[in-house]
Amino acid sequence: MVLAAQVRVKEIRMEKKSAPVEIALNNVSVSYPVTSSGRKTVLSNINLNIYPGEFVAVLGETGCGKSTLLRLVLGQEFPMSGTIVVDGKHVNRIDSRCGYVPQKYSLFPDRTMIENVMYGPENAHCGWLARLLPSYRTFKRTLRIQAEEQLVRMGLRASDLNKYPHQLSGGMQQRVAIAQALMMKPPVLLMDEAFSALDPSTRASLQQQLREIWQETRPTVLFVTHNTSEALLLGTRLIILGPHREGSQESNVLLDMPLPQSSDTISVRKQSTEFHELREFVKLRAYGASHSNDELRVVPELTERGEAL
Amino acid sequence: MASIAVLGQFADIQGRPRKLWTQSLSWVLFLVGVFVYSQFSIVRHKENPEDRVVPSVSQLYQGIKSAVLEPAEEDDALDANASTYQRLTHSMLAKDTLSSAGRFFAAILLLVPAILLGLHMAVFPFAEAFFLRFILFFDKIVALSLLPILFIAFGIGDWAKIMLMVIGVAPTLMLDTYNLAKAVPREQVVKAFTLKSSNLDITYRVVLKQILPQIINSVRLNLKPLALFLFAGEMIVSSDGLAYRIGIMRRHMGMDIIIPYILWVAVLLFGMDSLLRFANRRLHPWF
Repeated sequence: MVLAAQVRVKEIRMEKKSAPVEIALNNVSVSYPVTSSGRKTVLSNINLNIYPGEFVAVLGETGCGKSTLLRLVLGQEFPMSGTIVVDGKHVNRIDSRCGYVPQKYSLFPDRTMIENVMYGPENAHCGWLARLLPSYRTFKRTLRIQAEEQLVRMGLRASDLNKYPHQLSGGMQQRVAIAQALMMKPPVLLMDEAFSALDPSTRASLQQQLREIWQETRPTVLFVTHNTSEALLLGTRLIILGPHREGSQESNVLLDMPLPQSSDTISVRKQSTEFHELREFVKLRAYGASHSNDELRVVPELTERGEAL
Repeated sequence: MASIAVLGQFADIQGRPRKLWTQSLSWVLFLVGVFVYSQFSIVRHKENPEDRVVPSVSQLYQGIKSAVLEPAEEDDALDANASTYQRLTHSMLAKDTLSSAGRFFAAILLLVPAILLGLHMAVFPFAEAFFLRFILFFDKIVALSLLPILFIAFGIGDWAKIMLMVIGVAPTLMLDTYNLAKAVPREQVVKAFTLKSSNLDITYRVVLKQILPQIINSVRLNLKPLALFLFAGEMIVSSDGLAYRIGIMRRHMGMDIIIPYILWVAVLLFGMDSLLRFANRRLHPWF
C-alpha cells in the first residue's frame, strides 16, 4: 500500500508556476544559544518557494522547527543566515502582510467576539484622532455588519457575538480568531497548530470551514500541524520538516510534495483510498520506521522536486 | 449537637455557607471586638472613673461629637448660632480629613506616570534596558530614610509628604505594572501587529486595557502603604491632617479622639478600596 502511494506521489507533477513567489525562504538557518559558547541549530539551509493561493501544510515531529519556520515568515524571529521574502518584501518586522492564528491566546480577552473581529479593520482605517470624528460612528456601523457576516459565516450564532472569549468554547474562540485574521484580507495566513487543542468533532467542522473559506478567497496559507491526517486533508502541498540524519537536531525539508485534490469535501477525501495510502506513506516518511532506517528518511527525488516548485 | 455540626463545617473545605450564614459570620468579629473593648473599658472605669486610656462609650461619644462638630483648638471658635452644616464643614475632623485627602489624592495622581512608565518598560525593549536596573535598585531604598533629603528639597510643606508617598509606593507600582504587562501573552502582541496596530495601539489598547483591572487591584493593595507614608510625614512635620491630630492627641492622652480617628481612617480606606473594587467589576466585566 505504501509503495502504491509512493508511486502515486511520484506521478504527481506540479505545474510550472508562473505566478510570483508569495513566500520565499533562501538558505535560511536558525540557531539558538544553548550554552555560553555553543548554539543549537534548529533549521539548516531551508529553501522554499510558496506561491499565491497555495495551502501549505507543514508537518513534523515536536521540536523540529515547524513553529520556528512560521515565526520566521511572520517576522517574529530572524534567521542566523539567509533571507525571507513575503509578498515581495523582505521580512524584518511583524506587520499586516500576514494574518496569524496561534494555538491559544488568539483573542483579546477584554473585547467581545464582535469587537475582536472589528479590531483590525478599525486600526487599518481609523487613527486615534479619526475615532473622534462623527464619521467614525457610521464607519463602525458598516464594519459591525461586515464583522457579523464574517462571524456568522464561521458558524457563530448572533447571540454569541457580544460574549467575551472566556464565555465561549475553545472551538468557537478559534472560529473567531480565524474570522479576526480574515477580516484584514491578508495575502498570507499563518496558522500555528490552530486546531490542536480542539476536540475531534469541532476540529473536523473547523477544517471543513477553513477549507471552504480558502476556496472562496484563496489566501496563501501556511498551516503548521503535527497531525498527519489534518495536513493531508487541508493542504494542497505538504512539507515535512525533520533531521536528515539519525541523531541530528538540524531540521531540513524532508519531503515537499503536492497533495492530490480529489474532492473539496473533507469527509469525502477522508474516506478515499488515496488519503489512507498517502497517510501511511507520510507517516512512514516522517515518523515511522525512519528511526531505525536512515534511508527511508531521505527522499532526494521529492526534495529536489520540492525545491523546484 | 447543632452547634457542633456548625463548628464542624468550619473545617470542611467543601462546606458551602448559605448567604445568611456568610453575612452573619462576616460581622461576628466586629461584634466580638466591640464587646471585648466595652468589657475592658468597664473594668478600667470601675478601677478609675477618670480613666482616659480606654474611654467609655460616653467618653467616646463626647470625643466624636467634639471632633465632628467643633473646630480644632488652633482655629477660631464658631459662632454660637452656626448651623449644623457650618459646624460639620468647619470641624476638626473635616479640616484634618480634607488636608490628608488632598495630599493622598495628589500622590495618587503622581503615581499615574509611574504606572505608565512600568507599562512602557514592559512593552518597549529600549525603555526596559534604560530604566529597569535603576528602578530595581531604587525600589530597595527605604523611602523613610529619604525624609531628611525630602524636607531639604521640598521644604516642610505638603510637597515633602506627597513626595514621600510617591517615592515610597511608585517603584512597587511600577514594577508590578511591568510584571503584569510582561505576563501578557506574546501571541497577543504579535496578533495585534498583524492586525495593523501601531506601537501606541499595542501599548494602550491591547496591553494596558488587559492589565488595567490588575493595576487597579495593585493600587488597592497599595492604599495602606500610601496612608502609612502619609502618616509618617504628617506625624513628623505638619500643622493639620489626620495623623497630625493623632500625634497631638497622643500627648494629651486623648484616646477619645484617637480611637475615632483611627476608625475613621480605616473607614475611608475601606470605602476607597470598595469603590475601586466596584469600579473594577463594572468597568471590566470580562475580568
